[in-house]
Amino acid sequence: MNKIDSRIEQSSISQDNNTWFNFMPVFSVLLGLLMSGLMMLLLGYNPLIVYTNMLSYAFRDIYNIADIFAKATPLILTGLAFGFAFRASLFNIGAQGQFYIGAVMAVACALKLGSLPSYLTLIICFIMSLIGGSLWAAFIGYVKARFNANEFLVSMMLTYVAIAIMNFLLVGLLKESKGEYPQTDVIPKNGWLPSLIPHTRLHWGFVLALLIALLAYIILWRTSLGYKIRMVGFNRDAARYAGINVENIFVIVFFISGAFAGIAGFTEVNGMQHMLIEGFNPIIGAEGIGIAILGNAHPLGIVLSALLFGALKVGGNLVLQTSRIPASIIGITEGLVILSVILSYYIRDKLIILRSKKKLAVQERHRL
Amino acid sequence: MDAKCNLITLKNITKFFPGTIANDHIDMELANGEVLALFGENGAGKTTLMSILYGLYQPDEGEIFIKREQVKIRSPHDAMEYGIGMIHQHFTLVPVHTVVENIILGTEKASLKYLNIEEKVKKIEKIGNKYGLEVDPFAIIRQLPVGMQQRVEIIKALYRDARILIMDEPTSVLTSQETEKLFNFIRDFKTKGHSVIFISHKLNEVMEIADRITVLRDGKVVGNVFRQEASESQLTHLMIGRDLIIPKINDRVHPKPEMLKIENLTIMGDRKSKVIDDLSFTVREGEIFGIAGVSGNGQEELAQALCGLRKAKSGQITLSNKDITNKDVLSIIHQGVGYIPADRHKEGLVLDMSIEENLFLKNHSNPSFLHYGFLNQNKIQKNARNLMRDFEIKAASSTSRAMTLSGGNQQKVVVAREINIGTKLLVAVQPTRGLDLGAVDYVHKTLLKEKKEGKAILLISTEFSEIMTLSDRIGVMYRGKLLKIVQRKDAKVDEIGLLMAGITEGKKNKKN
Repeated sequence: MNKIDSRIEQSSISQDNNTWFNFMPVFSVLLGLLMSGLMMLLLGYNPLIVYTNMLSYAFRDIYNIADIFAKATPLILTGLAFGFAFRASLFNIGAQGQFYIGAVMAVACALKLGSLPSYLTLIICFIMSLIGGSLWAAFIGYVKARFNANEFLVSMMLTYVAIAIMNFLLVGLLKESKGEYPQTDVIPKNGWLPSLIPHTRLHWGFVLALLIALLAYIILWRTSLGYKIRMVGFNRDAARYAGINVENIFVIVFFISGAFAGIAGFTEVNGMQHMLIEGFNPIIGAEGIGIAILGNAHPLGIVLSALLFGALKVGGNLVLQTSRIPASIIGITEGLVILSVILSYYIRDKLIILRSKKKLAVQERHRL
Repeated sequence: MDAKCNLITLKNITKFFPGTIANDHIDMELANGEVLALFGENGAGKTTLMSILYGLYQPDEGEIFIKREQVKIRSPHDAMEYGIGMIHQHFTLVPVHTVVENIILGTEKASLKYLNIEEKVKKIEKIGNKYGLEVDPFAIIRQLPVGMQQRVEIIKALYRDARILIMDEPTSVLTSQETEKLFNFIRDFKTKGHSVIFISHKLNEVMEIADRITVLRDGKVVGNVFRQEASESQLTHLMIGRDLIIPKINDRVHPKPEMLKIENLTIMGDRKSKVIDDLSFTVREGEIFGIAGVSGNGQEELAQALCGLRKAKSGQITLSNKDITNKDVLSIIHQGVGYIPADRHKEGLVLDMSIEENLFLKNHSNPSFLHYGFLNQNKIQKNARNLMRDFEIKAASSTSRAMTLSGGNQQKVVVAREINIGTKLLVAVQPTRGLDLGAVDYVHKTLLKEKKEGKAILLISTEFSEIMTLSDRIGVMYRGKLLKIVQRKDAKVDEIGLLMAGITEGKKNKKN
């Protein structure tokens, strides 16, 4: 009787632990904020004041709140780009380049299709940015499948090629009519994504990003294709034995992943900037990697992490404008948050292993 | 003899692994200037025993004496202090480093002092001259042939003043010329008063090189004979076990139609040599055809070709009168071929996925589980629950991850799935490897049941007793050929054991 009781007790403890485990990312985000708070102390600023300022600025009015979502929009998409490929154990660290190609396609279409009705322009821009990003990335998948090239290096190097192409077009074909700076003209109004909340910068691109996150979830966990992708991610040998053409999956995954990053180019050009400027959003791809890791490569986690990063950006920028804190503190905060989350995943896995070992030992003792 | 017999003495060495006893009270001795062969089937406990002597494992019971003094060997470092070196089956070299860098790795204390490579090279050359092991000290390991890499391993041990060399299946990767060179070295090493422990399951090599042979079976020492007094049939008998009980089965009265037909099949291996050489045989409906043989004689490649993972160079594979030669994996699966792979963790399961998803593994393109590309979750779950019930898979729930299951239940998942999709033919490679006795029994019973229901089963196993227990007909594979195919009732243990070592009647007579 006692034995049974203690076993029940144990199982309830382990269940508690499970819910606790689920909250670990939240704790580690707080830990990351704490660590960067210490950093601020070292720099001679009161972290409490900085954080309360940040919060009050970020949520001061509807404009700022809406801006959090606007800033999160492209981050959701580049985060999905990395996260989706990561589910197949592939590293697409070239979302930046795919994003630029998507942006170039979007801006080119918007500029050249001035007289079409708005919805048609937007649809064409959307599709062309998607195709641009996905074909650009599919090439990575192809060389990986065909020549066993390292996708990590290829995707990184292709980013430089994409930047070069964009810069070339910005001083050539797409150069502004004034001809002063390496940037395009502002795109005609019929190419602008309508705003979601009037008098803010938040546009329908955010809803689009949410839909794409949902789509990513459905592909990965509800379709046969997603099942194959995850199988390739977990165990390539078993996937081969199950009759999956692993090389095809490489190409498909990169195609889809690149499409996500390309669409980020569309939402930024048609929704935010309304033009293309040399070197804009230069770390959006890198932030996507961090966000995907923060969100455990799960679409919902990616959306939440992107919102956190959006809030840090909005609040951070305003704090920077109103105090003398160095701008790099925001980057440091982002970095420390990601670091502590990664550590928490590691610790969580260790704890789970430890616990199952303990459980085995208990069972062993019962058997003897 | 007495004075010689105490260089190393192992007493009562016992080692438990979860679920099994790898070494069961083993006594062993090694003399100066002696080549001792540890002989036994795969999994008999040879490597475990030597890993204990080399300090990689700690024994749960037992004592080790070196020169009559009791010692504790806690790490390979300790072992080297006592002059013991081990040449592993899988080399422990850094492929991108040079020979000399690999050899001195770990012998130098970390310091800022200038590393005098010339001095080390001289020492290596001296060792090379002494034992006839010449090697270019500045060659990159990756660019050396396997035999040469092994030579570097040996020099590495000798550089650390090893006087006792443990060699784990050293010839498994070598060509016959390289093997000859290795044996010459061993003989030379012996005449200099040093000793070698030679782990092998190849009878002919053991007979050629050993002075004394200790036979292991199921973790126990079952024989200890001098080379002069040993005979091939005696050793085979010891290795396989004389008390092998073969259950009676009713021989079929009416031969059933052929299900799998292999004709003149030739397959090239990874090293561009023929691993399956002009092979022909058939498996009938309701028949288990067992392929016996020491591993590495082409069994793996044959199985891969059957399930579409490896291309045949020539010949034909026919499944119930349909040509399936060089078809892709998926269409062979859809033809009704189930495949139980030798390594369930690597090839048979996705450990991070749930049991449900693992049972669905090969149905990912089966239209009855899909609806416009979407997974039919209900059907997948129902299918999984049915299989879990039918095959008594014990798990917390069907959504638990496969890695949480015990080894036996993991194998049940694989077996259940493959039987489910393998409606015509089941290829089972080492289906009971690493399982405890209960699970072994379960898998065997399941295979016999499927046979009764009319499936053709091709059983490939290096465990001789398994082949003898289950098969209706037995083929012995050696170097990519079936040396002989016999009905089980006509099978003689001794003869098959010899065939596994590549010794046919004709050859043996010639020798005698």
